Amino acid sequence: MSPRRTAVTGVGSFLGSRLLRRLAEKQGPDRVVAVGVAAPPRRLGVRHREVDLAQPGSDQRLLDVFREEDVGAVFHAAFFTSPRRDTAYAHELESIGTLSLFAAAAAGGVERVVLRSFTALYGASGQNPAFLTEDRPLQPDPSLAWARDKLEAEQHAASFARRYPDLRVTVLRFAPLLGPRVQNFYTAIFDRRVVPVVMGYDPLLQLLHPDDALAAAEAALEKAPRGAVNVVPKSPIPLLTAIHLAGKMPAPVPHPVAYVVGDLLWATGLGGAPGAFAHYARFGFVADGERAQRELGFVPRHSSRDAVLAYVAYRRPRLASTRAEAPA
Amino acid sequence: MRAAAKVVPLRPRTQPYEPAARPRAPRPGAHGSDDPGGPLVALARAAEAGLTLESLARLWRRVYFAWHSEDVDEFGYDPKFTETILPFFEFLYTIWWRVEATGIENVPRAGPALIVANHSGVLPWDGVMINLAVRHEHPARRSCRMLALDMFALLPFLAPLLAQSGAVRANPENAERLLRKGELVGVFPEGVKGVGKRFKDRYKLARFGRGGFVKIALRTGAPIVPCAVVGAEEIHPALARMDWVGRPLGLPYVPITPTFPLLGPLGFVPLPSKWSIEMGEPIRLDRYGPNAAEDPMLVNRVSEQVRATVQRMIDGRLARRRSVWFG
Repeated sequence: MSPRRTAVTGVGSFLGSRLLRRLAEKQGPDRVVAVGVAAPPRRLGVRHREVDLAQPGSDQRLLDVFREEDVGAVFHAAFFTSPRRDTAYAHELESIGTLSLFAAAAAGGVERVVLRSFTALYGASGQNPAFLTEDRPLQPDPSLAWARDKLEAEQHAASFARRYPDLRVTVLRFAPLLGPRVQNFYTAIFDRRVVPVVMGYDPLLQLLHPDDALAAAEAALEKAPRGAVNVVPKSPIPLLTAIHLAGKMPAPVPHPVAYVVGDLLWATGLGGAPGAFAHYARFGFVADGERAQRELGFVPRHSSRDAVLAYVAYRRPRLASTRAEAPA
Repeated sequence: MRAAAKVVPLRPRTQPYEPAARPRAPRPGAHGSDDPGGPLVALARAAEAGLTLESLARLWRRVYFAWHSEDVDEFGYDPKFTETILPFFEFLYTIWWRVEATGIENVPRAGPALIVANHSGVLPWDGVMINLAVRHEHPARRSCRMLALDMFALLPFLAPLLAQSGAVRANPENAERLLRKGELVGVFPEGVKGVGKRFKDRYKLARFGRGGFVKIALRTGAPIVPCAVVGAEEIHPALARMDWVGRPLGLPYVPITPTFPLLGPLGFVPLPSKWSIEMGEPIRLDRYGPNAAEDPMLVNRVSEQVRATVQRMIDGRLARRRSVWFG
């Protein structure tokens, strides 16, 4: 009997689309199936089952798909990496959609589910230790709908893992991705000419190279450890160093102002994120990658600096080439 | 072929021989060098180019990487930045405060150890000086990771400065991680109660927290090296406190010293007292085993023992001291 199929949701996202392609190349296009609204590129030859996770009744549709396609594993990546103004839709997709997915997976005999999550959910706070381990409670800013929906998704995952011991639920908390062709909150920041920073703060950032993210995602589908696992780069980088490496101009804003101005810009449609995101520019949320090494056998090959340089080389080849020629 | 007659000297004789100085090992910060010259040249060029955003960004980047390396350690320690500001710290150490360090050989030559010191002086200069004392006087030239109080580690401007120069925010996870890596860690268990105390309470040790440092030492088996800093109480004598001023800014205390806030920014210049830093004999705890960390009575007893030792060392030094300024 051939192994059961792997379903990937969130094929419109960077991680989802990359993972789908990787799996299709390695296991054959017949072994994977794309589930969701976004269709995979036709040349992959991967079957697409259109289900809108944000719609009521999506759990029944998912259940049908899982049964018809004989799905044994799901990689659930249908999450917005950047904050959305349409918070109601984001909530339906991320929180309720995840609930539907787990309900269908539990009923449809799926063996393993890997949930794509975020280290940002630990919350950026001055109280954080230098390395956040997986048992650290998730305490993102309660006013951030972006983080709240994902936190709820994790809670659904934990609750299903508890109630259905046969279902192996892995939660991968990825550090923010940065690299060629990635599009998210951080790339939006690095694409600006002037990058607002919080005056007097320079937190350590973890920026994950896409190659490492993919390797960890694959390992998680294969090994399926239970519980949460941080997926982080080899070493962190100070925010200002990253900005200067990208050849951008930091614009320091005093922190009492940053939150208000951030909210104002967000409300008027000019800003890229609500004011509470300023936490992430003030304090670190550096996660510990030891469990990934132990349980996934995943050792990151790239540092945060590599991720920044890879992105710079992709977006600004001219800057990257002058740097390469510069005498050491 | 007449060209062969012409000898081109590799190096003009008149030019003195220059040793290859420091091997310019792969300078991680070399990326700022997309055009030659220092920051001033870059500024001139930027001005010529009409001060575009790009030229400004390039200039700023030059300045930044002249001070910072591109790679920091996992706690944010930046060796290049530390090297840049070291001369200033050395000036404070040798000329301003004329630090006299004794008993540094009590710090183990290798392996983890926890230096436990009294905290004083409003701003955490004592941490910087303890670090320098170990760097200078210890036979193995060890460097010490100081644990910085939350208030310092979270304050704008000070926070990145501390992290880049090797300090780590004081919490048990960080301390344990460092000790397990075999590092030398410095801690001020008095915390805010010590560094913010009034001048009239100088050299009276406050409570040593809740013995968290003892638990860490017990769990990791690291010896405790008691350390007494004398002289730091006088650098910013807090005659009174007006803490309400700092409350909206999240500061636990705002002192009134003879120079602050009277002289404005000059009030941040510490007074040039004469310092001594003394390390006592290490207190070994490994015989108790890691489980002893769960025994609150033992933890309190050891904590009190360390506190008494540091107090005794301070009192002894104070009895011998004749002048605040000359020792």
